[in-house]
This record gives sequence, C-alpha cells and structure tokens, in this order.
Amino acid sequence: MASLCKVMFNVSPRTSLLPKHSVFATLRSLYSSDASGGDDKSPERVKSGFAAAYDLHSDLRQSGDRSAAVRVSSRDETSFTSLLRHSALMQMGPAKDKIVIGKVFHIVNDDLYIDFGGKFHCVCKRPSTDGQKYQRGSRVRLRLEDLELTSRFLGATTDTTLLEADATLLGLIESKETKAKE
Amino acid sequence: MAAGVLTRVTQVLRGPRLVSAVFSCHGQTFSSAAAAVKSTAAARDTAATEKIQNFPLTQPDYFRLSELFTMKDLFEARVHLGHKKGCRHRLMEPYLFGSRLDVDIIDLEQTAEHLQRALNFTAHVAYRGGIILFVSRRRQFGHLVETTAKECGEYAHTRYWKGGLLTNAPIQYSPGVRLPDLIVFFSTLNNVFQQHVGIRDAAKMNIPTVGIVDSNCNPSLITYPVPGNDDTPVAMEMYCRLFKMTVNRAKDKRRQMELLKGISSSV
Repeated sequence: MASLCKVMFNVSPRTSLLPKHSVFATLRSLYSSDASGGDDKSPERVKSGFAAAYDLHSDLRQSGDRSAAVRVSSRDETSFTSLLRHSALMQMGPAKDKIVIGKVFHIVNDDLYIDFGGKFHCVCKRPSTDGQKYQRGSRVRLRLEDLELTSRFLGATTDTTLLEADATLLGLIESKETKAKE
Repeated sequence: MAAGVLTRVTQVLRGPRLVSAVFSCHGQTFSSAAAAVKSTAAARDTAATEKIQNFPLTQPDYFRLSELFTMKDLFEARVHLGHKKGCRHRLMEPYLFGSRLDVDIIDLEQTAEHLQRALNFTAHVAYRGGIILFVSRRRQFGHLVETTAKECGEYAHTRYWKGGLLTNAPIQYSPGVRLPDLIVFFSTLNNVFQQHVGIRDAAKMNIPTVGIVDSNCNPSLITYPVPGNDDTPVAMEMYCRLFKMTVNRAKDKRRQMELLKGISSSV
C-alpha cells in the first residue's frame, strides 16, 4: 500500500487521474482475488466515471467501518476524563441558584444535614411548614448557593473553609404524589 | 521434636535476627548424632520460613489488590473532589487534574496508582505480622475508623494525640513497648487545619506512613501519599473498606501459608 501511494505522489498532477484508476483497479483485483471468483469483469479493464467513483466510495466506507469499530472498542468508557466530563457536577456548571435533590442523613434538633452529591453536605433549619415530615432519609429540594463556604481572611496564607456547602431548602419531594400518578 | 522447633520458629517470627541466634546456640549444645537430624529439620524450617517471608516480595501484585477497586468506584465515591482553589496546598499541584469553577479536581489516574501502591505495601506489612495504626482526627469519621481497625484486628487512634506518643514511648508507656510498623492516616490534618503531629513523629521514628491527602494537605513527609477526598462520608467508607479488605486478605494468606508449611514439614 505504501509503495502504491509513493507511485501516486511521484506522478505529475495533470496525469494524476489515470494512475489513480490503475491504483484502485489493482486494489480491486487484490480484493477480488481474496473474495469469491464470480466477478465477470476482467481485472485489466480500467473503470471510469460512475463505476470508479462507486468503487472508491465503497472502499472508503469499508475502511471507515473497520476503523470506527476499532475506535469504539478502544475508547474507554470508564476512563477518568470521560467519567468526569459526563458527570452531573460538570454538566451543572456554576453552583449558584441551581435546583438539586438532596437526602437528609442526620438530624440534630432543628438542624437538617442534607447530602446532595457534592463534596460537602449542607445544613438547613427545619422549616415551619411540614416540620415533622423531615426525617432521616427524606428527599428534599434545594437551591444551591455555594459548593464550599470558604473565605480568605486578613493575614492568612490560605482560605479558611467551613467544610460545608450552602443551600436553601425549597421543600420535600412528595413521594405520595408520584405514587398516585402511577 | 519438629513440632517443638516449629513453635519456637513461630514465636520468634517477628524477630528474624533472633532465629539464627537460637539455632546457632542449639547447634553448640547438642553434640550427638540426633543433633544432625535436628539441625537439618531446623535448616529446612528456616528455609521454609524465609521462603514464606520473601516469596511475596518478588511478585508485583501478590495479593491481587487491583481487583479491589475500579476507576468507576473511585469516581462514584467522589474521591476526585478537592477543596476550593484558595485552600490548595502548593505541593498538591502535581496530583491535581485541574480546577473547575474554583473547585480543584484530583487526577484519579494518579490516585489509582498511588492507592494500589499504598494497599500493596499495607498488605505486605500485614502479611509479615506488622502492627498497623489507623489515625484520623476527623470527629465525623472517628467511629468508622475505630470499627474498621477492630474488624481487621489492628489498632486505631482517633483521639487527641499526646506529644510524646511515638517519640517518648519508652517513658510514657513501658521500656519494651513495640511501636507500630505502619501508620495509616485517613485524614492528615487535625481539627485546626494543621498537619497531624503523627506524620512528623512517624518520620522521626522511621515508621512508614500511608496517608489520604486532600488538596489542602502537605504530602511531603508521607511515604505513600494517596491524593483523594477525605471529607465526604462515601469516600471515607470506601477507604476504610479497602484497607480492611487488604489487611484481612494479607492475614488470611499468611495463615494459609503457615498451614501449608506445617503440613509439608510434618509429612
């Protein structure tokens, strides 16, 4: 194949068409020799016009299918970069004013510790409406403000972090409603 | 008599230098023909013990720890999430994949390699009968770390670290106290965001350390740093589970090898 390509490059551009046909004619003869020998056309006859274009495109499509199959199998669906790119945190963008669903995992009197899938949890006050419905494991809707509360104070070399996210509680996810719909 | 020799060998297993001393003095005291039989049995036992101790060191992944975790497991446990850009420690920059909207993302390809190395080292230490100490000063995960240590038969220290715990141990405890052979830090910072004293003390006492370093930690004194998230409960549970499985696997393998040696020497 490399030697055939070299032949094509050496030929001057005006006469480039003819050597191309001969190149693809030889390729076709190679393929036809491997495949069944039921081909009526003789390998010496040079094709032109639509026949040559058809051959060219069928060869290209065959080679394209083969390389596509190789590409799909070699592309790693579980590589870190592809996982990161398709993760919800990346797709979300800036955390300001995004609505997310969280789950209450700990309760201390009136404080609800809610985990929404980020690095940190957020702490919200139990609301006055439907207060007692918020128990461990209840799913809630949140509006995110910040993924991590950090701030640089005067005279410090690094930020001080509160190890908490900031979000406003919007309400419970009504599971009874979804059951009724079904 | 071979059984007696075998028990003596297992007792001094932790101090391999004593084995040769014991057998050399045995060779001098016995001078009958039976001594030749005993010394060959002893030599066979030492050879078997050495083989048990040294053979795993020749294999790259003797305990097959690469099958314990996958990239997807690490990702779903949110190990790649770091702190904000302002909290970043300068020395953690090589381990970071990048920063997205001010949040540092830790490179999980590097984390997977480092975790593999750390787990392999832990397994080898546990295989050779070493003492492992799990340390974490995060109050949120103190109970988790203590139960992990209990379930794999090792030790944990999740409370206030007294000054001379490692460096002044013969005086604070007793003169013959044995220090840990490996210290695993599940979080290298203490509650005021300073580096845990145990890292510096372990380095002073030549004790290797394994540490989960987040993007605001200093990885320089730690022997086997594992860059990863140390703030999320899911991630901490995953690390605890991995270390517990590693230690249990290594100890089971050792018991198995000892049994095989016992069977082959009695045959």
